[in-house]
Amino acid sequence: MSVRPLRLTVALPRITRVERDRVLAGVCSGVAEALAMDVTLVRLTFAVLSFASGAGIVAYLGAWALLPAPGEGQPPRRRRIAGTVLLVWSVILALRGLGLSDSLVWPLALIGAGAALATGSATLGLDQRRARLTAMVLTIAGIATFVGGNRHGTATTLLAPGAVAAALLLLLGPWAWRLGRERDAERAERIRTQERADFAARVHDSVLQTLALIQRNPDDPRRVATLARRQERELRSWLYPDREPAAGGTLADAVETAAAEIEELHGIRVDVVRTGDAPLDERTGVLVLAAREAMTNAAKHSGADEISVFVDAAPGRVALYVRDRGAGFDPGSVAADRKGISESIRGRMERVGGTATIVSSPGNGTDVELELLS
Amino acid sequence: MSLPLRRVVLVDDHDLFRAGVRSELGPTVQVVGEAASVLEAVPLIKALDPDVVLLDVHLPDGGGHAVIAQVAPERPGVRFLALSVSDAAEDVIDVIRAGARGYVTKTISGAELTEAIHRTADGDAVFSPRLAGFVLDAFRNGDAAADAELDQLTAREREVLQLIARGYKYKEIAARLHLSARTVESHVSSVLRKLQLSSRHELTRWAAERRLI
Repeated sequence: MSVRPLRLTVALPRITRVERDRVLAGVCSGVAEALAMDVTLVRLTFAVLSFASGAGIVAYLGAWALLPAPGEGQPPRRRRIAGTVLLVWSVILALRGLGLSDSLVWPLALIGAGAALATGSATLGLDQRRARLTAMVLTIAGIATFVGGNRHGTATTLLAPGAVAAALLLLLGPWAWRLGRERDAERAERIRTQERADFAARVHDSVLQTLALIQRNPDDPRRVATLARRQERELRSWLYPDREPAAGGTLADAVETAAAEIEELHGIRVDVVRTGDAPLDERTGVLVLAAREAMTNAAKHSGADEISVFVDAAPGRVALYVRDRGAGFDPGSVAADRKGISESIRGRMERVGGTATIVSSPGNGTDVELELLS
Repeated sequence: MSLPLRRVVLVDDHDLFRAGVRSELGPTVQVVGEAASVLEAVPLIKALDPDVVLLDVHLPDGGGHAVIAQVAPERPGVRFLALSVSDAAEDVIDVIRAGARGYVTKTISGAELTEAIHRTADGDAVFSPRLAGFVLDAFRNGDAAADAELDQLTAREREVLQLIARGYKYKEIAARLHLSARTVESHVSSVLRKLQLSSRHELTRWAAERRLI
């Protein structure tokens, strides 16, 4: 399953122009869709705004230029800049239409343009540093114009816009806040959904498959046990990720892996107990191979249904024991050419300076002790 | 050999597992009660006063050690045998240190479990190979000379634990070391006592560090 990386998006609805039920360029439909509003209401807003020195028309043209066409990416940079300029212009027109004096509108426009640059520079594809600098200059210029223009102004010039701003805040504040909250909730929900999907996929890929296989083989207890053991191992390594073998690996991890392979191959249970651990190097690697051979022998020839493996690693001495309670054999009677024991176990151990002791007798199982001193 | 009937309480939050255990236990073991949580288990065990409690290491409202801590002071005769699929050594050591007489994994066969219950009821310690591995790890020698007697294993005890870890049964250990089965058992009980009484700080540190074996 592919996991989509979570991306924090700006808490603004993504607006695109909409092809369906458009009249002109689909701007109104796009805005209405993004804000979940009635198209007619949006159209009406633009129309009413048009009476404010044509602010509505300018805003529409700006949005047309700025918003991506349906199914297309961002419009070219020049169009986006032109669109932004038109939008800022429409805001100026609207503010003037509201009856605000020029001494207030122009500073607001400058500050607005600065804010637009500061927040939208990335979207507009402008150089970030230069955009920020320009934004700062524009904002300072706006404040300066405001202070300069109102030095002799009356209290009303300050009060009126203050009232308008407060009204706007009251109107839009709750909406913006709710939008933010919904975004957060949506994001949390998305993360939850993804975790659930991940879990479901895991369960489906492993557990359900195993259960299906088990249902298909109800009369083969050995196969069922093997399937269950494999599933158990898989789930364990998922639930306790610390246990997953390290990249370089250690002796005990390598033994566990070998044991798992033997279980898979021969449908026998291999119980691995470990105390201490040692790094996996050339010598301990050979030790693992010898132990694997001992496990294979036990699985193939002993007839036991369980093999016990014990890894005992301490500084200076590493020992590995493989034991079964199966048929056993007489070590003296094993033909010299039977490679398993003489070559794969004893020979291997001797070549790395270790020892292999094999204790067995018919009917009493087999005990293989492998030892490496350093 | 006729074994006395043992009264057992099963504490495990999985119905299916309890049902499985019940059906696998031999005729010499009678399940007198079952509980699925610490809250249920404590009053039940106190009321029934069984010989042995088969105790899951993990319970939804606290570990098996919580059950032992609440029952043992009032019912010193009740013996606990921990049972788990858990690989977390610290959890197992926790239950043992709380007073459980042994630990076996849930993959144990019915016959072996029946035998383990009888041994627990007799006051013996029941060590599975895995527990032996955990304990050997816990008592891994650091600066042995400085340690009190309680804090280290004797050579014989170590030998016995290593053989358990290799999959030997007590009888097989006795034969191999030329000891009586009783002596092997007393070595294991002695290890259990050390595990429970030792204040050896490595034990705690080790459990914290090696969360999993």
